[in-house]
Amino acid sequence: MNALIEVLIYPISSFILISAFYLQAQEFVRSMVIGQMIQSALLGFLSFVIGFAESDYDFFILGVLIVVLRAFLVTYMLERRVPREKIHLHEKKVDVAFTFLVNLILVVTAVFLIYFLIFRSIHLVPDIGSSTIFIFPLTLFFQGLFLIASRKTTFAQIIGYVEEENALVLFAMFLLPIPLIIEASVFLDVLALVVVSSIVVIEKFAHEKMEDLVGLSHRHFLRCLSFSFRLRRTLPIASRESPLLLWAGD
Amino acid sequence: MAVAGLMYFGPDLSGIFYIDFTTWVFVIMVASVHFLSVTYATKYFHGTDLGIRENTFYLLMSLFTTSMFFSLEINNFGLMWVGIEATTISSSLLLIAEKTETSLEATWRYLVLVSAGVTFAFLSIILIFYSLGTLDVSSIISHGPEASPVLALAVTIALMGFGTKVGIFPVHTWLPDAHSESPAPVSAMFSGVLLPTALYVLYRVYEIDPLTPLYLWAGVVSIAAASIFLGYQTRYKRMFAYSTMENMNLALIGFAIGGTAGITGALLLLISHSFAKAGAFYTSGSIFKASGLKKISEIKGLWKSMPASSASLLMSSLAVTGAPPFGTFFGEFLIFYGLLSMHYYFPLAIIAFFLVTAFIAVNHNVSGMLFDGESSYSEPGKVMPFLGILSSAIPVLIGLVFVVVYLETL
Repeated sequence: MNALIEVLIYPISSFILISAFYLQAQEFVRSMVIGQMIQSALLGFLSFVIGFAESDYDFFILGVLIVVLRAFLVTYMLERRVPREKIHLHEKKVDVAFTFLVNLILVVTAVFLIYFLIFRSIHLVPDIGSSTIFIFPLTLFFQGLFLIASRKTTFAQIIGYVEEENALVLFAMFLLPIPLIIEASVFLDVLALVVVSSIVVIEKFAHEKMEDLVGLSHRHFLRCLSFSFRLRRTLPIASRESPLLLWAGD
Repeated sequence: MAVAGLMYFGPDLSGIFYIDFTTWVFVIMVASVHFLSVTYATKYFHGTDLGIRENTFYLLMSLFTTSMFFSLEINNFGLMWVGIEATTISSSLLLIAEKTETSLEATWRYLVLVSAGVTFAFLSIILIFYSLGTLDVSSIISHGPEASPVLALAVTIALMGFGTKVGIFPVHTWLPDAHSESPAPVSAMFSGVLLPTALYVLYRVYEIDPLTPLYLWAGVVSIAAASIFLGYQTRYKRMFAYSTMENMNLALIGFAIGGTAGITGALLLLISHSFAKAGAFYTSGSIFKASGLKKISEIKGLWKSMPASSASLLMSSLAVTGAPPFGTFFGEFLIFYGLLSMHYYFPLAIIAFFLVTAFIAVNHNVSGMLFDGESSYSEPGKVMPFLGILSSAIPVLIGLVFVVVYLETL
């Protein structure tokens, strides 16, 4: 049993993480869609392996669900929406090398902090191994979040979201699989969300800041912090493009 | 409504559904605001070129409401999560009904931010199942609160996860965009019932292992942030969106402190707020329909040109800021009483300060729109202003009923 875990579970989990880093390093939309498909297929395969190791048929059903709904249907939905125009095929204005470096620093720091502070004490189903295995879903989760945050195209953000969901499936597989009916509902929910998102893709390929979606300027915010409440005053539009504004969330 | 009625008054069918008095209050809220919003939408979209077919709009509204009922009534934390995610899916297309560039961007922000946040909440569902071996709401709640590090982690993650949909700072950023760019009946549904539904689910998770100080301070910080942002808004719908954030967090505090005062106060605040905020957004819709303007500074002299809408805007803005005799006032009063009785003096002082700030900010802006200058707008028909007045007047009725019931119990 332990040999099987060492031979298969850890390497497959590592490949899932490699696929996540591959997605982060990609600028091309089609490659990202394929990368997502490979990641989901690996997750499905891992489910079969754990099912075999645990002699639990629920994992086999889960594996089939992952392969059919995520690796196939989600990929099909996204692939259909990839724009045919050459200009849209890759994401411009993204410094892949720089974001990849920032990504590595943030994800590694976040995972190690959270693992050592929280998850180290959680005990697993004995056959799976030690709690260090949680590093895989945690890294995948933060990787998905970072992909959403660091990219501006609708495709990249959808794939980031699917990656986040894959991380939760992986987490549940290692910890304690939740009832299949709930897992299946979650899969269908994610599929529906991808369908809805693919409708938005047609209308809006990339996302930038918009003046109408900004409520206040950073100078207003600073005035506010200094308790000089002066209501209903506006400032030049240029002053609304501030990093502080992004932090403030409005 | 039928299922909730049957469950609450009829035989015990708690295997599939879990409905207690709190659920019943939420179900009434959702059903009432849905009815008002659909009625309002029939007039609001009249003669408007929609991005989706009108039939599809009403189908999506029904799906949206059904998913909220599902989240409220289902007896399983995992399926509650599914219901909350389903509300995002069904409501996102409602947001782009008017198909403007800004509404598309707001829809996308809503989809990505809320889905990413709610996904985080699924982690807490996994941890609850890991700890307790079941996700049945009835059996977990009947077992009573249980303290363990894993459950504390689950309840903390739920605060950030479901909190994204409730409007807790700093994961609230989708809220003003979605509220301001969606059509008025959809904004009313978002503000009046969607956020309370998410709050209900968060409250159910909170009951498992009540981390009162964490939830209390999350609420306090969010109220402070909402009040600060609210005062500096230049668009009236965004201003009302931040007011929703403030009210939701006050209700969260009510649930967090618990007891008769806290829970009753939170429920009274939520039900009054749902009608008041629906009224505020219906009136905003009428004003936008008449003027085509979104900025507070551009709207003047409504009192003379649109008297019915002005009356509903005034009433609703007073109601959402907790003025007496609206039900929101009594809700806030009970929550304050609960905080006092539990000796939370410092949080109480902070909340009171920022509630006063929000009260001044909202009513100052609204009074400017109503009484400053002159305009030549006209009411968009009779039904839309009537629904605005009706929704804004219901919180007065709720407040008066509460006073009568309260005096009778003395």
